[in-house]
Amino acid sequence: MTTGVIHDLGYQHYDGPRLGRPAIVRALAWHSLRSAFGLGRGARAKIVPVLVFVIMCLPAVVNAVTTAGGHGRLFPYDTYVFRLRALMMTIFVAAQAPELMSRDLRSHVLPLYLSRPLRRLDYPLAKFLAFTAACLLLIEIPLLLLYLGTIVNAGGWAAIWAQTRALFPGLLIGVLWAVLLAAGGLAIASCTGRRAYATGAIAIYFFLTWTLASILIGVGGGPKGLAGAPLAARLAGLISPVTVLEGVRQWLGGTSPSPVPPPGSLGAVYGVMLLALLAASLGWLAVRYLRAGLS
Amino acid sequence: MTAATGGGHAGGVTEMVIDIQALTKRYPRGVTALDGLTVRFAPGITGLIGANGAGKSTLIKILLGLVPPTSGRASVLGHDTATSGDWVRGHTGYMPEHDCLPPDVSGTEFVTHLGRMSGLPRTAARERAAESLRHVGLYEERYRMIGGYSTGMKQRVKLAQTLVGDPRLLLLDEPTTGLDPGGRTAMLDLIARIGGEFGISIVISSHLLGEVERICDHLVALEAGALLRADTITSFTSTRQVLAVEVDEGLPELAAELARRGASCRPDGRVLLVQLDGEATYDLIRDAIADLGLPLNRLEQRRRQVAELFADQPELEATR
Repeated sequence: MTTGVIHDLGYQHYDGPRLGRPAIVRALAWHSLRSAFGLGRGARAKIVPVLVFVIMCLPAVVNAVTTAGGHGRLFPYDTYVFRLRALMMTIFVAAQAPELMSRDLRSHVLPLYLSRPLRRLDYPLAKFLAFTAACLLLIEIPLLLLYLGTIVNAGGWAAIWAQTRALFPGLLIGVLWAVLLAAGGLAIASCTGRRAYATGAIAIYFFLTWTLASILIGVGGGPKGLAGAPLAARLAGLISPVTVLEGVRQWLGGTSPSPVPPPGSLGAVYGVMLLALLAASLGWLAVRYLRAGLS
Repeated sequence: MTAATGGGHAGGVTEMVIDIQALTKRYPRGVTALDGLTVRFAPGITGLIGANGAGKSTLIKILLGLVPPTSGRASVLGHDTATSGDWVRGHTGYMPEHDCLPPDVSGTEFVTHLGRMSGLPRTAARERAAESLRHVGLYEERYRMIGGYSTGMKQRVKLAQTLVGDPRLLLLDEPTTGLDPGGRTAMLDLIARIGGEFGISIVISSHLLGEVERICDHLVALEAGALLRADTITSFTSTRQVLAVEVDEGLPELAAELARRGASCRPDGRVLLVQLDGEATYDLIRDAIADLGLPLNRLEQRRRQVAELFADQPELEATR
């Protein structure tokens, strides 16, 4: 076989490096993270992620302006703006989790992944890592902006240190949010190749249950009376992932006011519920992709 | 040409591409998909033929290391598929039968992404995606959305994604599904080129015998999860040449006359198929027709279809 001939357009073998499974999972996760924000897609795919990001950051921007005017920090780090965050993140997950999961199901691309070095659980793992990262960015960047806007206008190192110490529990709660939202959204989206159905089901899972929980909390006596809300009101928060997160935050010591009554002695139940929801979501994803075949 | 370029291909003794030993696969619900299959695939293009349910897809799943065999073993390129599935999948390209392409990405983007999923670094994936698409004849259209491609173009994207990782073996599942006759011919020519010029071993799974035999070096026929027959294509066909004789009238008389003269023949519609035993058969037919004074329309050598050859094996049929 001749070599070095310019007009030779024959088949070339590849002699370069071949990356191992961890690198392939990383590549898939990076690809998925980009598509969670509509990157590499048309302009329309970027509308929801960009809108959600801008709206999530608005309170932090307002805070930066008012602290410059001499006021104290407007929003707590541990809840940020609870209703806004819950609503915006529900919209983001409902719109973008199907982009990561349902799309591949719809076009039956899965056999092409399965016939490559990836193992069955690598695919959902990469998607989960990517989507958790996407949710983290949307939750933590506004918190960091809130922090920066505050410390720029804070007087002295003591004040900055106080802000920093208050920030960390907030970041930790943000991680819980991101993990639970990403797992739940992807698990639901992995059930159907039809994006509209997946979006609807995710909206029901996060938003409708939250509305229901709010109604029951109201009926059961409301969030008032920190000392001890009625048992019914304290139990009502368990029915929605969003209010479970609020219950866990208060159980872990978060003291900012909340539309969800403090769980009190039921705190551990909220913790268990959070883990159960997470385990169910990730377990379903694992089963779903362990069972996937070539056709 | 001596050893193949690059890739560290093993030289020396002809290495079997696929080696299957007493492979059995039973599914939980009692279905036996493969039943003690033992067969070896030599380098080149091999047709894997059998009816639906003969065990072709189960065999492909085991070869890719996606399904563990109940017993027995299978190795691809010298690697056990049950224990080295990652390696095997890294060096094998698989083309599914069914549609598997997203409509809203371009051919280049899609094949590049799958190149990365095969373990290629970013730049290499991009270069090899362009190369692969060029080899299947989609260079001009590579930036267009796949949704706008014709069926034939989609099949070629599916083929291109198997090539992007520089595989040493291709598993093609019914690669001509959904194509018109012209498209089928073009696809088979392309596959023959990949197997010949590119030096990549290929297994074509198909239930259409007549179609794949044109480009195959070997055939492996499965039936009910067991081996029906495995051989080179020449041994399937070379000794079994027939002559097709077409006359305007007097077909029964000609058949009787040929039988009297010692030729083995049988009618097949409007023609008479005569077993070809060297040059003498031609003379024999010529003399028979001349003596009977029949109007001869056509006399042609016909390679018997593989399908007929399997029908010639009643003892194997009976073992079902």
